[in-house]
Amino acid sequence: MRLRQLFLIISLAVVTMQLALAQGLNMTFPRVFKAGNSFSIQSSGNGKATLYIIGPGQVLKRDVQLGEMIFFQSASLSNSGHYLAVLVAGSEKKSGTFDIVPSSQPAELSFLAKPSRLPVDLKGGITGAVYVFDAYHNLIYTPALVSFELSSPGGSMQTKVLLTHDGAAWTGMDSTALQGTDRFVARMGDVSETRLVQQVPGDPCGLKMSAQQSGQQIQLATETVYDCRGNPVTDGTIVTFTESYHGTLWTVDVPIKRGFAEVEMPSINGAAISVASGIVLGNQIEWKR
Amino acid sequence: MVSQGRIFALLLAAVTIVLVVVGTVWPSPSAVAYVGGESLRSSTSTPEAVVENLGNDIRDQAWEKAYSSFANKAEFTEPEFVHDLKGYSPGLLTYATLNSFEVLPIHASAKEADVLLKLHWSTIVGASVTTRRVHVVRNGDRWEPEWQIVKDPSVPPQIIPVNYLRWDVIYRGSEDDWGAQDVESPHVRIVDVHPVERAEGMMVLGELINEDVVPAYVSVTATLLSKHQSVIATEGSFDKISHLLLPKQVTPFLIRFPDVQLSDVESIRMTPLSALIAASADPVIEIENEQLHPSPDSSLTGQLANQSGQIVNVAHVLATFYDSAGQVVWVADKYLDHALLPQAPVPFEIHIPEDLSKKISSQRTVVATYSFGGYQ
Amino acid sequence: MLKSILIFCLAFNTVSSFGAGQASVRVEPANLHGSRPLQEQTETAVIRDYMQSWESFRAALEQNSALLLDQDFVGTAKEKLTDTIQQQALLGVSTHYMDREHDLQIVFYSPEGLSIEIVDKVQYDMQFLDKKRVITTQRMSARYIVILTPSEVRWRVRVFQTVPE
Repeated sequence: MRLRQLFLIISLAVVTMQLALAQGLNMTFPRVFKAGNSFSIQSSGNGKATLYIIGPGQVLKRDVQLGEMIFFQSASLSNSGHYLAVLVAGSEKKSGTFDIVPSSQPAELSFLAKPSRLPVDLKGGITGAVYVFDAYHNLIYTPALVSFELSSPGGSMQTKVLLTHDGAAWTGMDSTALQGTDRFVARMGDVSETRLVQQVPGDPCGLKMSAQQSGQQIQLATETVYDCRGNPVTDGTIVTFTESYHGTLWTVDVPIKRGFAEVEMPSINGAAISVASGIVLGNQIEWKR
Repeated sequence: MVSQGRIFALLLAAVTIVLVVVGTVWPSPSAVAYVGGESLRSSTSTPEAVVENLGNDIRDQAWEKAYSSFANKAEFTEPEFVHDLKGYSPGLLTYATLNSFEVLPIHASAKEADVLLKLHWSTIVGASVTTRRVHVVRNGDRWEPEWQIVKDPSVPPQIIPVNYLRWDVIYRGSEDDWGAQDVESPHVRIVDVHPVERAEGMMVLGELINEDVVPAYVSVTATLLSKHQSVIATEGSFDKISHLLLPKQVTPFLIRFPDVQLSDVESIRMTPLSALIAASADPVIEIENEQLHPSPDSSLTGQLANQSGQIVNVAHVLATFYDSAGQVVWVADKYLDHALLPQAPVPFEIHIPEDLSKKISSQRTVVATYSFGGYQ
Repeated sequence: MLKSILIFCLAFNTVSSFGAGQASVRVEPANLHGSRPLQEQTETAVIRDYMQSWESFRAALEQNSALLLDQDFVGTAKEKLTDTIQQQALLGVSTHYMDREHDLQIVFYSPEGLSIEIVDKVQYDMQFLDKKRVITTQRMSARYIVILTPSEVRWRVRVFQTVPE
């Protein structure tokens, strides 16, 4: 009988203690933290508890003393996201949600620039898209100004300043009339990314060759080959010389070297000689010895 | 019962003795070969037989035996004979094996004969046929072949200046670095596509141009689609294309669909593929004396001349044939079985199907070259 | 592109012992601020691959197996989720996510075609276990910003991040 009374008294005491704890168990914290910053959670109640912070980007578990300020030093939570905090003391729980937001200071730009090589004088031929990240690789989704600059070796510069939407911004630029390597820069604050864009000559324009006797052969040579904007066509571009005489053909594919292409072919009186490069036709010569 | 057994044993012994005698006096060719004696292969009784022996020796790579059979062996050495057959410089036939051969008599008299020896080689790019005319002379009671050695043209000692032009490529690397810049693949474009139906199946012909300023490694894939847009078949151009295209260079391509009828095909999806490749602008190959020959035996003939100073080990000639409207009607190719020495023209002949020859009014030829060790 | 609102009802298999069921997927017409037009095939493929990435995400965080992320995640998203899984494994905890509703919209297709950005309002249940003991089960909602990039055969999630609603 006495044993029963003792058990009842102990049980009541435990229940009373738990009720007291439950009434006191709480935590307070701001709804939003900046990624990487230190922060604190104020707990209330008595005794020991376990604090869980749960999110797809991070999971933390910490034993805490209720009633004390729970301090998290900087970089404890660095991944932007929606988190759940759960404070557990025995069978009692208290939970709440908060958000970690990216730092507003950009640290990294993902700059997708295309193409790395294109013909000169192409409207809207170059595009650049940028995503802005903070030091913890969180996408900074609040609107911010990004500048795009395309500078050519000739000194011309195209600049556009744009506002990001959901962390992204994009622009289109024109290739200039001059061949060379352009610098394409995306910039936000002190952070910048550079891409090199090679502007290359277009198709040959006004392809012209001349012929002269060279021993038993004809020496055929083009003039310096330019595109329609006056850029010398890249060395290595194939020029095709064709000589035909009464249904017989002589053909040579010659690469341009040092600006022009040259070749020796049989010297046949009355032969027709033509020159072409890709789909561009040049002049034709009827050879007279 | 016992006497019947004895009779049978005696009969068996007698038959065995008769067969041994027959086999010794008139041995089978294979048996002679096994015991290392002369065989029918070594018969010298007819011009065809001696040329057949020669073909067998070439197939077996029994160079010493083949060389010793020649009546005119004093005119050349055994290595010269082997080089004549397989190339003085490494070429397509250097690593080829003789798959089979044909012996075709041309004419014969009591003292001499001429026989064609058609050699069917297995090479790294498929079958290759070379034909040699073998003169056979009678020497006593036996016939002996004479080998007409074709020596490689000797190039006069000289210095050929070459202004090398070469492209090398540095890629970004394999690590995932999103947004980081990489070198752009060459821009290529299909400028003509034309499906044709032949007895051997459907084919897709066309031309591809490298529009870029850098060399491109190219290939083309065609996907045939039915009326319901389902895929009938997908094939690539394999070796019926010049895979390396310098800037503004054009290559023909031919894609075979052996089991497909053109009437089943509603549309064709063409996929040109290009990749950057380290390459040299040399060697320059001139195509000389190119001529279209009408039927019968319609063909394209010409000569390739290597204008550079280094040896081209394998040359692949690709010809595009056009009708009078300038449309591609056929693509054909030929690998040269010998290396191209500098300044030494080598003839080629590309067969054209008889039924197409009347449609053809012009052609365009390109040469793809391969040099062992590359052109550095 | 400008078709009316699509409702996808995709059935998901889940290894979770709680709340197994279907997530409803609502796709708003794309509201692109990029220059590149979005083909219907691309849109379908991106949404399909994104929804599959949720399956991988759920399974990986439930089983604490980062390998399950390989197919659908890449770059920063994969690194961050892998870190979370390692933290969970170290602490002996696991998280069961069960997405209930997706309301998503494609907001950016970069002009060179190398990225697509999606905004997704997700309703999901989250059950958190410590040593297989359920600590909490919560109904939550979050606005996700997701960037997908193309790989050899599929779109993979590169950025997977929530934004305060």
